[in-house]
Amino acid sequence: MIKFKDVNKWFGKLHVLKDVNLQVAAGEVVVICGPSGSGKSTLIRCINRLEKFQKGELFVDNFPLHDHSTNITNLRAEIGFVFQQFHLYPHMTALENVTLAPINVRKINKTDAVKLGHEKLARVGLSDKADSYPSQLSGGQQQRVAIARGLAMSPKIMLFDEPTSALDPEMIGEVLDVMVQLARDGMTMCVVTHEMEFARQVAHRVIFMDQGELLESGSPDQFFDNPRTDRAAVFIGKILTH
Amino acid sequence: MIEGFNFRVILEYMPLFLEGLRNTFLISFASIFLAIITGIIACAGRLSQWKVIRAIAIVYIESIRSTPLLVQIYFFYFGLPTLGIRIPELQTGILALMLNSGAYIAEIVRAGITSVPNGQIEAGVSSGLSYYQRMRFLILPQALGVTIPPLLGQAIVLVKDSSLLSLISVAELTRCGQMLTSERFMPTEGFFTVAFFYLCIYFCLHSLATWSQKKLIFREEY
Repeated sequence: MIKFKDVNKWFGKLHVLKDVNLQVAAGEVVVICGPSGSGKSTLIRCINRLEKFQKGELFVDNFPLHDHSTNITNLRAEIGFVFQQFHLYPHMTALENVTLAPINVRKINKTDAVKLGHEKLARVGLSDKADSYPSQLSGGQQQRVAIARGLAMSPKIMLFDEPTSALDPEMIGEVLDVMVQLARDGMTMCVVTHEMEFARQVAHRVIFMDQGELLESGSPDQFFDNPRTDRAAVFIGKILTH
Repeated sequence: MIEGFNFRVILEYMPLFLEGLRNTFLISFASIFLAIITGIIACAGRLSQWKVIRAIAIVYIESIRSTPLLVQIYFFYFGLPTLGIRIPELQTGILALMLNSGAYIAEIVRAGITSVPNGQIEAGVSSGLSYYQRMRFLILPQALGVTIPPLLGQAIVLVKDSSLLSLISVAELTRCGQMLTSERFMPTEGFFTVAFFYLCIYFCLHSLATWSQKKLIFREEY
């Protein structure tokens, strides 16, 4: 589904991705963790070309993303992206947030879109908030609307960039519950997160990155209990004592 | 002092003042309308991907903003005829006001567009919305709220700036004050009346601006 081959990226002189190789199969749930500035957000932002990279190859759904001349608007419609800061559209209700892309990108008619919107909001447990504006919702509710917005496009892949990092502790659970359910339904997911519980529950694989390098890749239990590299061990120690 | 104030002459000249008021109103309305169009085009040029178009827009915006309006009016009034372009005073005046305000409006619109957080664009991009769809559904609706109040502020400035057109003998409001001064030597009465009418226009526009500020800036409900 997703295939990175020797991907390199620089921000100016800063080498943020160093020869990254990674394959994600359909239906796989991959958790990416690592210290801040390690390039994990950049990595998943490459998958729908929110970031461009300079060297290497990346195929998503057999589509070459390293070829910058290609228009990937259609591919983007197949990839849901959930941001740390939600980025809901503040001038639209929750329902309008969810139905905007289905109506304008998928060109489905309004009645069906509204039905679909209610369905997706129900799936994230927010049936009663369809007519609320983002500013009237809590952080956890906003993030769940953002997930519903992604799901409304029936994506093949869902990407999560630290979806719970901007949330108050008591709201993290409600967002993770939705994500766990999604993983169990067989969605292909790449999740940048430090939530070990989530990783242990549903991740098929945990990836560890540091300073732009992909250092480890293994099952959650293997990674958290017996990390192969020192840097990973130090990192796990830090998030455990945290 | 007040007994020296001649109300009768004001009443006598009232038809003239009302005509001046009407002209000021028409000039301002035409200029601001054209200036908004100019401003949007200039702003689009300013944000264009093509360097040449961007450079033209920047030269236009910066050269207008760095020179006095009066100089611009004189430039068009005296300069255009020597270049062989003859247009009446009124149109010259509207042209000058339009180009002047257009440059400021371009920056107002640009500020509105750039005030929309980058995350909004990224969210739109990620959902597969095209550039025009993002503009139409995400950026412009959010930019509009922050653009309208300064736009009305610019309209107020333009109404007051239109008084400079009296210097190229356009029969607008300030020109009436000058006529009362030259014909009857009553500058106090003349310019008092002129000022009063400007105040009325200002009051209307200001109320509109205040109202729009409450109404249009995106409601943040806490």
